[in-house]
Amino acid sequence: MSESPTPPEEIRFSDALAELETIVAALESGQLDLEDSLERYERGVTLLRACQTRLAEAEQRVTMLMGELEEDADDES
Amino acid sequence: MSDAPRALSVTEAMTLAKRTLEAVPLRVVGEVSELTDRSGYKAIYFTLCDGSSVMPCLMWRDQYAASGVVMRNGMLVEVSGTLTVYPPKGRMQFQVRTLAAAGEGDLRLKVAALARLLEGEGLMRPERRRPLPEFPDRIALVTSPRGKAVHDVIRTLRRRYPVAELLIAGVAVEGIGAAASIVAGLDAAGRSGADVVILARGGGSYEDLMPFNEESVARAVAACPVPVVTGIGHEPDSSIADMVADLRASTPTAAAEAVAPSADEVSARLASLRRLVARGLLQAARAAERRIAIVAHHAVFRDPRALIATLAQRVDAAAAGLPRAIPVRVRRDGDALRLLEHRLIASGDRTLERAGEAVARAADRLADLSPLGILARGYAVCYGPDGRRVVRSAASLTPGDRVRVRLHEGSAGCVVESTRIEGTADV
Repeated sequence: MSESPTPPEEIRFSDALAELETIVAALESGQLDLEDSLERYERGVTLLRACQTRLAEAEQRVTMLMGELEEDADDES
Repeated sequence: MSDAPRALSVTEAMTLAKRTLEAVPLRVVGEVSELTDRSGYKAIYFTLCDGSSVMPCLMWRDQYAASGVVMRNGMLVEVSGTLTVYPPKGRMQFQVRTLAAAGEGDLRLKVAALARLLEGEGLMRPERRRPLPEFPDRIALVTSPRGKAVHDVIRTLRRRYPVAELLIAGVAVEGIGAAASIVAGLDAAGRSGADVVILARGGGSYEDLMPFNEESVARAVAACPVPVVTGIGHEPDSSIADMVADLRASTPTAAAEAVAPSADEVSARLASLRRLVARGLLQAARAAERRIAIVAHHAVFRDPRALIATLAQRVDAAAAGLPRAIPVRVRRDGDALRLLEHRLIASGDRTLERAGEAVARAADRLADLSPLGILARGYAVCYGPDGRRVVRSAASLTPGDRVRVRLHEGSAGCVVESTRIEGTADV
């Protein structure tokens, strides 16, 4: 907890979920003192909020590695 | 009219046709359709076609079995035999004597051989298949940039999991150079930092799928550093790429669905994590509470005296033992000290007594010296006109001066009548 955690908006979605799972496991272990528990809980809530926001607001980024994409007539966007 | 050939009976005509046709052995290539293979029949029946013509065929069952070929509709075969006529029905058909897979059939054999080779290398072992990432951050798609497949995948991912970034390698999936293009696409996808790769193409004929049966493509799929999901729509055939992939999906859309969790699933997962985090905190709080309770229940906090009880008892024990512990010598010294003290006080008392006596004697002597004592013996003191200065000589007085004479008891105011100096012999 000594290094400052990655800001939630910068963290990768999968990493955020993995960290959340770690937090849950740590909280459930009962090995943390109350202060540490609260700190992790707060971090967990922040990550959860960030994940939900990302999920709700995400616009898929599409990048072409090779070639050029031909528009699809059925594609509504 | 008699010179003209006589009219034939139908049977004669059909027999003539039959003999004529059967005199010409033929080899024919065509696609199988309308295959009828019923165990009760002596022969199997099918039709060969090439898109503009059809040719009914029959083959005796024993000859078919001897060919080693298992025919399926759509398969390209090469047959040898003769055309013949079946007079009772007036029907022409091809009597097949030998049968071999042709064209596509050759391809199938080639593909099967490659499949066996790669299988021998262990590239198709189930334990080689890697699990897909649960929540991919980056998904790479290798497919044609034109056509339905690419947009099927884009739509599916956008609907299910827009959080992930989609990287598309647009490659040629058919024609000359397609295999090399697909290999390049897979390579770019593998180096793109993607968590998973989709290799897709829409449906097509078996030949259309040949690039996905190329050894170079199969090896590129197997060598990809991240899991590869194929969505090559050509059920029920599977390509070699399908066989070495980590997961085979039936279509591009199915591949996209396999790769991305649905947003609903993720939301549910988040909700469950939220509950778990909250429960975890509650547990931590309860654990802390229990620990506090245990500590609070400890004797020290119930009765603070308990904290010093042991120490107090030790002090008491020490106090009890202390007199015994004082060395005898010290006690004897103590006794001596007390004796000295008594003597000191006693001697002090005597000193005071002596001092008192001395003081009394001194006081007596002081009394002798006191002018009042002299007065008691009958002397008087004369104070001058100012009432304060003692008159020591008659020369300081003039007749008529008022003087005050102090006696042993009281005083008297007097007036000087005369003065006389009697030599030096004063009183």
